[in-house]
Amino acid sequence: MSNVWTKPTAISRRRFLSGTTLAGSAVHIGLPPLAAMFTANGTAWAAAQAPVETRFVLWFNGNGIVEKYWIPTETGKGYQMTPCLDPLASFRQDMHVITGLDNPAARMVGPGNDHHRSMSALMTGTQFTGRGAGGPSIDQAIAQKFGGSSRFRSLQIGVSQESFGESIQRNMSWAAYDRPLPPEMLPHKLFDRLFGAREQAWVKRKHSVLDAVREDLAGLRKDLGKEDLGKVDEHLASIRDVERAIEGLPANYRKVDAPDYDGDMKDWPRIARLQSDLLAHAFASRQTRVASYMLTKCQGLSRFPWLGYTHGRHHDYTHGDAPANNPAKLAGQRTMRDICRWHVEEFAYLCNKLRSIPEGEKTVFDNTCLVFVHEHAEANDHKNNGMAAIVAGGANARMVRGVHSKMTGTVADLYLTVADDVLGAGIEAFPTASRKLSGLMG
Amino acid sequence: MLYMRFAILLLGCCAVGAWAQPLNGPWFVKNLYPVLEVANCRTCHVADGVAGPTNLVFPDAEASDAEVEIFGLQLQRWVNAKAPKQSLLINKPTNRLKHSGGMRIAQNSGDEKLLQQWADALSVLSPQEILLLTPPVPKRKVSGTEALRRLTHSEYNNTVRDLLGDASNPAAQFPPEDFINGFKNQIQGQSLSPLLAENYAAAAEKLAAAAVRRQAKELNICKAAGAADVACREKFIAQFGRRAFRRPLEQDQQLRYSKLFAAESKRTNNFSTGVEAVVEAMLQSPNFLFRLERTNNAKWRPYARAAKLSYFFWNTMPDDALLAAAATGALNDEAGIAKTARQMLADPRAHAGLDDFVAQWFRFDRVENQLKDRRLFPTFTRELALAMNEETRRFVHALVWEDRNFMDLVSADYSYLNADLAALYKVPAPEESYGRVQFPAGTMRAGVLTHASVLVQTSKPVETSPTARGLFVREQLLCQHVPQPPPGVNTNLPEVKQERPMTNKQRLSEHLTNESCASCHKLIDPIGFGLEQFDAVGAFQAKFIAHVSEGKPGSGKEIKRDIELPIEINGQVAGLRNSEFDNPKQLGKLLAESAACRSCVVKKVFRYYAGRMESSADQSVIDHTLDAFARSQFKFKELMIALVTRSESPK
Repeated sequence: MSNVWTKPTAISRRRFLSGTTLAGSAVHIGLPPLAAMFTANGTAWAAAQAPVETRFVLWFNGNGIVEKYWIPTETGKGYQMTPCLDPLASFRQDMHVITGLDNPAARMVGPGNDHHRSMSALMTGTQFTGRGAGGPSIDQAIAQKFGGSSRFRSLQIGVSQESFGESIQRNMSWAAYDRPLPPEMLPHKLFDRLFGAREQAWVKRKHSVLDAVREDLAGLRKDLGKEDLGKVDEHLASIRDVERAIEGLPANYRKVDAPDYDGDMKDWPRIARLQSDLLAHAFASRQTRVASYMLTKCQGLSRFPWLGYTHGRHHDYTHGDAPANNPAKLAGQRTMRDICRWHVEEFAYLCNKLRSIPEGEKTVFDNTCLVFVHEHAEANDHKNNGMAAIVAGGANARMVRGVHSKMTGTVADLYLTVADDVLGAGIEAFPTASRKLSGLMG
Repeated sequence: MLYMRFAILLLGCCAVGAWAQPLNGPWFVKNLYPVLEVANCRTCHVADGVAGPTNLVFPDAEASDAEVEIFGLQLQRWVNAKAPKQSLLINKPTNRLKHSGGMRIAQNSGDEKLLQQWADALSVLSPQEILLLTPPVPKRKVSGTEALRRLTHSEYNNTVRDLLGDASNPAAQFPPEDFINGFKNQIQGQSLSPLLAENYAAAAEKLAAAAVRRQAKELNICKAAGAADVACREKFIAQFGRRAFRRPLEQDQQLRYSKLFAAESKRTNNFSTGVEAVVEAMLQSPNFLFRLERTNNAKWRPYARAAKLSYFFWNTMPDDALLAAAATGALNDEAGIAKTARQMLADPRAHAGLDDFVAQWFRFDRVENQLKDRRLFPTFTRELALAMNEETRRFVHALVWEDRNFMDLVSADYSYLNADLAALYKVPAPEESYGRVQFPAGTMRAGVLTHASVLVQTSKPVETSPTARGLFVREQLLCQHVPQPPPGVNTNLPEVKQERPMTNKQRLSEHLTNESCASCHKLIDPIGFGLEQFDAVGAFQAKFIAHVSEGKPGSGKEIKRDIELPIEINGQVAGLRNSEFDNPKQLGKLLAESAACRSCVVKKVFRYYAGRMESSADQSVIDHTLDAFARSQFKFKELMIALVTRSESPK
């Protein structure tokens, strides 16, 4: 691995944040120069040696949709793009729009409000526990199979920082019952995790430090009752993940400049693009195969100044009650249309980014499968059947693309089909999945 | 054997036709209990539920079959032995007799029939027979057996400040913490994800490097004669380690860190790189990140106690004096603990400790992140929001440190305001910023109930929410849990139209007439109605302003109008004695004098202190604390001292 990086071309944070290209001309969004991602002969990082890997992205947007603006009227190949889906027009032949899916675990009697219940059910197929999700989320089920050899077993990426909300609303990835995996929301921190430069001596030292920590954990274990062993083991597993992350660093990375962070952390469209760029490069540089991407929060309360909507918050619009006492529910629905369209725009941006990076004869997008979901179908009704999803990417040539299908089955059936038939992960089962969706594979 | 007896007993009555299916405990578990679960009885009928006062308390979700059986037999209390058909057990859930929770089980349904069968079966059993049939109480994992508590982010920040003199608040960048049971320090929520471990690792590296670079005095334990100065190394590890781990190092720990130190300092031929590596490792060690609620290691116990007191009273690590107290056995008996607790409360650090508790109880985070309609509330800025929190903070501090009656919390006719808040409240500004302001007679302010911090976080961007305000009172001041709306209900309120302007109370009356909504909302909304004279930013409003618009929105012809309506401020706190009130002051008085509110103050402190919900095993501690609190005329310091003394005293 270590000789792949023939020249020390690590991307410095300063360059990353300054938003200039190598030639020095200003660009709109700061991103690592692509050249750094390639070996001397122009192929993507590591591609020269390792066989091409497939990847999985689970993409989530908060609240639901307005079905009439989102779901195409026609099914099959000839469907008309809807206002919300339109930003994906250039990916029409690379994706499958699936509607009609059920999310049955959302209706199980238990604690929480509709959003809590839907979110737990949507991500994990299990019932909301009152605090969090009742089991591992689908990205983690796949990471169990795919994460073994990567530097990061999986990445959790988030965009809209809001202090509101509970664990189930702020996290989409779950390691286990009540065990959230919080997303990294800050681009500069994500950059540091992925591309922060390290010296060999640092790596060695880090290992000795972590050895001591691990031995402390083993020592403490002896003095604890079994109720606490889970916590110690969780800590131990996390330390192991930290060690892997260190291990995977290319040896000849240069030291990166100190943080130079002055970003506006409410500028979500900009953050979304930075995060998407970083994710694309994380895939291209083979640092992980699995990612979850939380653009807006479950039951999100974001405002959308860049869309011109500042008087209400995301969730307020779903119920048409913004501004207060607005006689026209329609206004809220039209706002929701624009918000959902923005969700799709950002998703399309990531798809584009992945497509812009060549990998072997193809592109990273061609070796990735992306699944796009919301916590509800019709947002106002908190509807948890007839859910809409998008499956995009070329990870498997047999996957049917270019169509809109109304399917009978659960969201988990879709996950199972994607995990095992599209990606070949072999998870074999997932809560509330009972069969594969035959319409997805040709 | 007993079940056979049960069947035989039933044989005796046999009007039920119980031949085919013996009605016994397992029958209840298998047939009737699932029906009650689906009917969602448990959401209200739990100890801290809104139907708690009925004394019908359902087993929790994890209850074993035996516990459910016992519960089934205890239902006899709601059975009319002479006329089983008249039993509350049948007539309440079916709403034949008015049930606050509405009709949970359909009348004349198969489910009602199961209820009748069970009522018939129970009606013939004598108390002795019930006792005989009751299976032994199974051993249960008592909650609160977990011993490990992770430092919260604020504890982490304060600890590294005191340990290394580093005030950079590194935890501000960690993944955010969740509120569970109302607080951010609950054991249940303390997972340690890989991302958090990475954050700890990165913070440890930075903190250690910075401390060595600054030559922090906290690291300057001895003067090293060279990279290989063994005596100084051992001394450093022992002394720094004792502060970092809040207890003396074990031999194997000392050895471990010596090895790390030696390897690093040898590699670079520099003593301070050894120091740096050890500090970095200790800051990631479970012995630093976690503290022990209890331990099998008797040597550690006084230290665990010192740490518990320290994080409770000061929100930071124990200082040298407290560690010394642990070492000398000063924390080994009740008197010693009480004395130490009083000393700690007299220390200025106790003020910072109280801040952490108050900020979470009153959800200052929500106030800071409130957004209000700028056109309607141009004065609502972040600065004003912070001032609102400051008012509540100062107010609670005054109650605590001036030894006032803490129940003034919900009824005080005074507060602590700066000029901006005085302007908002339309009262004369105090001479000194955040000086005490006595509200003029006739002002309807009553403790935190009418603090802008509370009113703002229980309002929407434009309008107030009596529902959110009622929930705040139930959850934060009465410690009652109110269930969420059932799945799939339409939570939209009727629109306000030009021809039909309505106050919030009128709009919310929908909640109270619709059967499925009313069961809960009549417990919530009527509390909030009492606070309707305070608008979405906490200012007094004599009239309700309905914002209506005519014409098609976005058509350019839309005309917005405001219509003034009178406000009624009477209401009720269903479930409390004499619970009707005419205005917020009466509401405050009612709460201040209620047993529920008083014991809620104790429960809140308990949850924060113990890092978990109280369980039945904690009842004696809670009763003792409540008793001491009441006897002291509701002095908060006495509450805290009683709580720690009773909980920490070696049994």
